[in-house]
Amino acid sequence: MYCEGDSWGCYLPMSLRSMGSDPMERVVKLASESAVVIFSVSSCCMCHAAKRLFCGMGVNPTVYELDQDPRGKEMEMALTTLLGNSQTVPIVFIGGKLIGAMDRVMASHINGSLVPLLKEAGALWL
Amino acid sequence: MANHRVGETGLTDSGPSSNHHHHHNIPYAVLHGMNVPPSFMHQEGSAFDFGELEEAIVLQGVKIRNDEAKPPLFTAGRPAATLEMFPSWPMRFQQTPRGSSKSGEESTDSGSGVNTISSKTENQVEPESPISKKTSSLDQQQQVEMASDISRTGTSQNQSAAAKTPQEKRRGSTSEKQLDAKTLRRLAQNREAARKSRLRKKAYVQQLESSRIKLTQLEQDLQRARSQGFFLGGCAGTVGTISSGAAIFDMEYSRWLEDDQRHMSELRTGLNAHLSDSDLRIIVDSYISHYDEIFRLKVAAAKADVFHLITGIWTTPAERCFLWMGGFRPSDLIKMLISQLDPLTEQQVMGIYSLQHSSQQAEEALTQGLEQLQQSLTDTIAGGPVIDGMQQMAVALGKLANLEGFVRQADNLRQQTLHQLSRILTVRQAARCFLMIGEYYGRLRALSSLWASRPRDLYDVGA
Repeated sequence: MYCEGDSWGCYLPMSLRSMGSDPMERVVKLASESAVVIFSVSSCCMCHAAKRLFCGMGVNPTVYELDQDPRGKEMEMALTTLLGNSQTVPIVFIGGKLIGAMDRVMASHINGSLVPLLKEAGALWL
Repeated sequence: MANHRVGETGLTDSGPSSNHHHHHNIPYAVLHGMNVPPSFMHQEGSAFDFGELEEAIVLQGVKIRNDEAKPPLFTAGRPAATLEMFPSWPMRFQQTPRGSSKSGEESTDSGSGVNTISSKTENQVEPESPISKKTSSLDQQQQVEMASDISRTGTSQNQSAAAKTPQEKRRGSTSEKQLDAKTLRRLAQNREAARKSRLRKKAYVQQLESSRIKLTQLEQDLQRARSQGFFLGGCAGTVGTISSGAAIFDMEYSRWLEDDQRHMSELRTGLNAHLSDSDLRIIVDSYISHYDEIFRLKVAAAKADVFHLITGIWTTPAERCFLWMGGFRPSDLIKMLISQLDPLTEQQVMGIYSLQHSSQQAEEALTQGLEQLQQSLTDTIAGGPVIDGMQQMAVALGKLANLEGFVRQADNLRQQTLHQLSRILTVRQAARCFLMIGEYYGRLRALSSLWASRPRDLYDVGA
């Protein structure tokens, strides 16, 4: 069983985990490699807003521009399936954990849950 | 003997020469009276004829009375038959009807059906007034009636005249003068009235015509606007017209404002009544749901017409000063509340300040994202050779569509801020807080109305 990020165990079906080149797996792999990961599209302005939000907080996010990745399209589709069709980039992972699209990020920041998550992931120092 | 020859008889047999002159003068005067004003010549037929006919008839009545004759002509009301028997009378009254037989023949045939008055006058009038060719049937009717009235008067007078010749003459001469003066005045008034009524009728008809044209134009505009309205519902609106989505939102928003008043009075009474926390919680929660509703409505409005929300037309001018991404700026709201929410526990104070901080960061992020959108849009539209205009526009349209997302995120931020406030504060504090928010925006709206109706010279700074 492939389980680099334990937190992902509950999200992925067993069958998918065995496939290495699966886009979802790639997403998960990339998401857990950094404290803050943003899956973005380079021309998307909302993604730019998300990047500015984290930078403004002093966090240095890892950004994957899906339009510049050869397998980006598949990954984008996988992400959409994961989140539900209404959600779109930017999609944020903190500490390997899926936070969601922009409105979820905003909500979590306002209700005060974002900063502890960032601290927990080691992205934010006191 | 020759009753018909009254006129001639009158002329030749009339007593004092003064009368004779009178006879001559009267028609002259009258005729002059009629013909001098040039407007008469240019008027349409009916009243003109009527005035003339009336004069002719009255004069004829005067004539007959003076001459003590009993013309049988009046029974049928055809004094016109005798009119042509005054060859010395100038202008029309001299004219013998061309079509009809000579006056002599007519007179022998006095009782027979000679031309009606109207036709007579027509014959006579024709050469005189080029315009008034025909008389309206109504006026003819009037003429006939008038003629018959006068004829009756004339007849009765004639009968009495026969009895007292000299007195009649005298009376006739004096009353003749009076009658003439009165008659002149009356005739002039009638002409004037007829002319005025014609002018009024003309004006009224013109007004009707122009109203009809205006009505058809309005109908066309309405048709066009309606068809555009359906079109606008699905696409971006054209300049100057309000889209159906915007109109719907405006309507919903005004209803929401009314609800807001109701909620605020509930909060007020709840606070003053010192309700239990659980009861107050219900009121506070309903106020939060009330705000949730407007954010829901704004989602639909952003989809239908994002520019309507962004430009803030749906708000009042004073509110528009503070507009940020189609609504209030959450950090501004918190700044306004902070001083008024005392007393707060330390934890609450920290919570409020951290809320303010995070909302500021979120606002900043969204603002920068919007700036990038603007920059991207400018890059797409401005400069460079236009290789493919339509392609360029299509790309720009795609970018413009992102505005909806930003307004939605901004509204989301507002909604989250209000929810967080209710979490940080106690029920009582939250009730006071929301009352303050409602009152604050109410005052801003009142300020807008006052501004709109301010006396200009008081507040304008002199040059």
